Amino acid sequence: MAAWKLRRPTQTMKTNLKRALGIILSSALTLSLLAGCGGNKLAESAAPAESAAAESGAPAASGAPIKIAVAAPMTGDNAEYGQGFYNAAVMKADEWNAKGGVLGGRQVEIVQYDDKNSSEEAASIAQKIVSEGDIAGVIGHFASGVCMTAAPVYQENKIIEISPSSSHPDYSGIGDYIFRNNTVINVEAAAGLDIAVNDLGKKNIGIISIKTDWGTNTAKIVNELVAGMADTGAKVVAHEEVMEGSDDYSPAIAKLDAAGADVVICVSMYSTLAPVAKQYKQVNPDIAIVGFSNAYTQQLLELGGDAVEGVCFPVIFYSGSDDPAVKTYVETYKEKYGAQPSALTSQAYDSVGMLLTAIESAGTTDSAKVRDELAKIDYPGVTGETTFNDIGDVQKSFVKLTIKDGQFAEANF
Amino acid sequence: MTKLNEKKTEGTGFIFQMESFLDKYKLPVCIAGAALLLAVPAFGFSQYLMRIFIMIGIYSILGMGLNILTGYTGLVSLGHAGFFAIGAYTSSLLMLRLNVPFLAAMICAACLTGAVGLLLGLPSLRLSGSYLTIVTLGFGEIVKMIIVNWDAVTNGTLGLKNIPKPAFFGVSMTLANNGLYYTMLIMVFLVAVASMAIIRSNTGRAFQAIKEDEMAATMMGIRTMRYKVLAFVISAFITGIAGAFYATLVGFIDANSFTFDVSTLIISVVIVGGMGTMRGMFLGAALLIAFPEVSRSLMEYRFVVYGLLLVVMMRFRPQGLLGWKSQMPYKLSKRAKALLAGKNEPAQTANG
Amino acid sequence: MAEVLIVQQVLNGLALGMAYALIAVGYSLVFGILRLVNFSHGSIYAFGAHAALLFVGFEFGVLPAILLSMVCTGLLGILIDKAALEPLRKKNSVPIAALITTIGVSNIIQNLLMIWFGSEKKAFPAVFNLPMIEIGGFRIQSTQLMMCVVSLILLLVLTLVINKTKIGLAMRATEQNPKAAKLMGVNVNFVISFTFFLAGASAAIAGGLISGYYQIVYPGMGFMAGLKAFAASVLGGIGSLPGAVVGGLVVGVSECLAATFINSTYRDSVAFIILIVVLIVRPTGLFGKKGITKV
Repeated sequence: MAAWKLRRPTQTMKTNLKRALGIILSSALTLSLLAGCGGNKLAESAAPAESAAAESGAPAASGAPIKIAVAAPMTGDNAEYGQGFYNAAVMKADEWNAKGGVLGGRQVEIVQYDDKNSSEEAASIAQKIVSEGDIAGVIGHFASGVCMTAAPVYQENKIIEISPSSSHPDYSGIGDYIFRNNTVINVEAAAGLDIAVNDLGKKNIGIISIKTDWGTNTAKIVNELVAGMADTGAKVVAHEEVMEGSDDYSPAIAKLDAAGADVVICVSMYSTLAPVAKQYKQVNPDIAIVGFSNAYTQQLLELGGDAVEGVCFPVIFYSGSDDPAVKTYVETYKEKYGAQPSALTSQAYDSVGMLLTAIESAGTTDSAKVRDELAKIDYPGVTGETTFNDIGDVQKSFVKLTIKDGQFAEANF
Repeated sequence: MTKLNEKKTEGTGFIFQMESFLDKYKLPVCIAGAALLLAVPAFGFSQYLMRIFIMIGIYSILGMGLNILTGYTGLVSLGHAGFFAIGAYTSSLLMLRLNVPFLAAMICAACLTGAVGLLLGLPSLRLSGSYLTIVTLGFGEIVKMIIVNWDAVTNGTLGLKNIPKPAFFGVSMTLANNGLYYTMLIMVFLVAVASMAIIRSNTGRAFQAIKEDEMAATMMGIRTMRYKVLAFVISAFITGIAGAFYATLVGFIDANSFTFDVSTLIISVVIVGGMGTMRGMFLGAALLIAFPEVSRSLMEYRFVVYGLLLVVMMRFRPQGLLGWKSQMPYKLSKRAKALLAGKNEPAQTANG
Repeated sequence: MAEVLIVQQVLNGLALGMAYALIAVGYSLVFGILRLVNFSHGSIYAFGAHAALLFVGFEFGVLPAILLSMVCTGLLGILIDKAALEPLRKKNSVPIAALITTIGVSNIIQNLLMIWFGSEKKAFPAVFNLPMIEIGGFRIQSTQLMMCVVSLILLLVLTLVINKTKIGLAMRATEQNPKAAKLMGVNVNFVISFTFFLAGASAAIAGGLISGYYQIVYPGMGFMAGLKAFAASVLGGIGSLPGAVVGGLVVGVSECLAATFINSTYRDSVAFIILIVVLIVRPTGLFGKKGITKV
């Protein structure tokens, strides 16, 4: 009994000590975390993109660097797109810096923000960008839904946002500071249908679309457009919506095949187009497939292999183009990052260019003036001549591409 | 009575000292804490930081909601993102389509979420442990699927946008005028008080009895079935409140705002903070919401760290960071004291 | 035409179901021994597929790559058990603790895969490159057929291991009563490790075969597949190998039929709805043993 009594206090003391330590540590951790939030500086791990300029002995920067934010998924399922945006933006900034910067020698700095493609993150990142106070403009947000959450914050605080990828029909209508450098769906859909009906001469159209805002909308527009083409004899025989990220499309394909489709319009990114092409060609090797420019990326060839041979797209950017500007761009990109730039990446590249040009011609980073310049810009980019319409959507012309011998090539019908 | 006093002197450690300090200066500490929280906007934090504070508040509410189910009743749910979504969508739709004011919309949303909680709670009558967890997980996925496919109501993949901010007496609550922050404070306070009240009631004790030993609880005459379903309803109700508030904060919601990751985050808040504690929910939410904001240097590794956190916590501190057992003597309610005083020297167990 | 379509969809569903069955086996094995739903199994399956992809890169051919990946993934299974789960068993922790641990492990594996291999979908070489077979107007892909054959062989081997070998006897004894098994001289920890190895190896086979079938590999592949496979194993009666196969087939076929008659976008919910209904109506599943429901 006595021994028990003797031992007990020390043990309690020990455990209490342990507990106390735990509590102190955890509260210290919270405090430091919160302090870190306030510190802001801590949060940026993004490497400033000035290295190239510094090395090439460009004129010394006069004044603070001009900061442009790239806000996109840098980690998570869609990291490939965000990384592409960032790479393209850094490359564009390096080019300007090598030429001597903007506004009489101010360097351009690209700051990376990771929204993980989540609306919640994006909203808080948008607030963060606003709080920074010295961000001249935002390139980004990848998914349309994410853009929709972030855009009101930018609009409210008069920060220019150019999304290279958003396709939500209401996106650019959110405000006059919100732009997009992505194709407008109905023009692209018409171009795709033109390939299917006029160039390939198919009449029985099957549609496979992914169930996202972009996919649903585009498929709806394609349906409407086909209905308006009744005189050519073209009709939609079946329309199947699929979840993005499922691997098995055989039920949808079996339905399309049973309905007698002879051309499939595949409204999706490359990651759905490639397996659809593979699985469809096993069922019907003669099927013709038309994709969208979002699927135009090197990975489509890697993932699709033989099955994507003959797939056609309308695109606004073609890396094999004869245009010397495009050629140097593609070569530099490949040299730097070891991959072909995709359409979306190139749209990000041009977006940065447009923003910087607008800043240069406005002669200031004052967002109201830059906005006005941006609205009337006529930018000769790698994705073609770009102008914005009155709500901030771009107008561009399309090139028809096909896949031949495992390479993208211009289609000659 | 003397036995109780004796026990009090036993504790000497830090926790005991802290607890007795808090007990002694309850009022000043509460006032100081409240003043600090109320004065936060006065420090001139950026909107970004204020937003994080509000998110911490929302996740504290989510944590308290799940805590009732997981922490006190011992039923693990991996589908709370589903309740969160139902709350957010219901209140947003009411506000957008029928112009219902925020408060009413929120209450309706919470009630509907509670009703769905009742539906999901029914299978818990027959299931236990992992099976129930899987059902909740499936529930979360089904809710997401319905949101995506029910275009007529939920606007499908396009999501709901322009969700209005709450307005009281004609004043719109925004981030800029700190209205959202104070609304959050009030809601957190109310939810905390309500959860406290539930936990300390007979119902709360029944929940805890079920967690400790369901069989024994049944033997004690607790209708475990009924209480398990009730725990689901209460938990869903609270989560629905958080959902409604989240929707007005963010202004745009779609199915992607309510993924499985959200469910994981909510349960992580409960586990890191300490299952079955109130204080833990605040710390858990603060840590887990602030962590990704400051750990941008860890970038891609932070999800790995989340995972590690769960594993390490389970291994070394399953009760959570703040999950200590109170060393204060058990306080009897006034009624119980009166009863004891009436019955001269009640029989006491001798193991003190 | 409609009948042809239905039969075609059922055939598609059977192939898909076999894929689920392959993953479901892993759940059943671990659950049988530990009464633990191993949430990380979906990620282990994705790991197996990535390991196979890695070894394919060394160019010894696809089948040896899958074999190597089986060993690696099996070892991963053992590692998870030794590092995360065994300490919990020693401490006699509550069941929730193990459940949450496996959720954490799943998070770790999936995100490490994402960091190492990138989040994008990658091409995986076809395991069997054989032409389409046409029987009476129905088209069956030979890969689908091969997948069924391989799965059946695998399940047969597993059944033999469990029923005819000494270690299998030890596994069954541990399943019945771990304490009694220990007293009878069974090395319970070894048996558990062996079970995790088997589960990991079967996940790797599933990963290799299914990736070979769809020719796609990506870190997130295990999430939905894992959940549906779990639904399949519960439907068949968790802990029972033939149950896993039947459950997988039912889930696969009903998914394809739902895609045909309702919409492809609803197919992912089908498995969960089946799961919930089964759990409410008959928690032991089709082939489940009684007394297994209390976890």
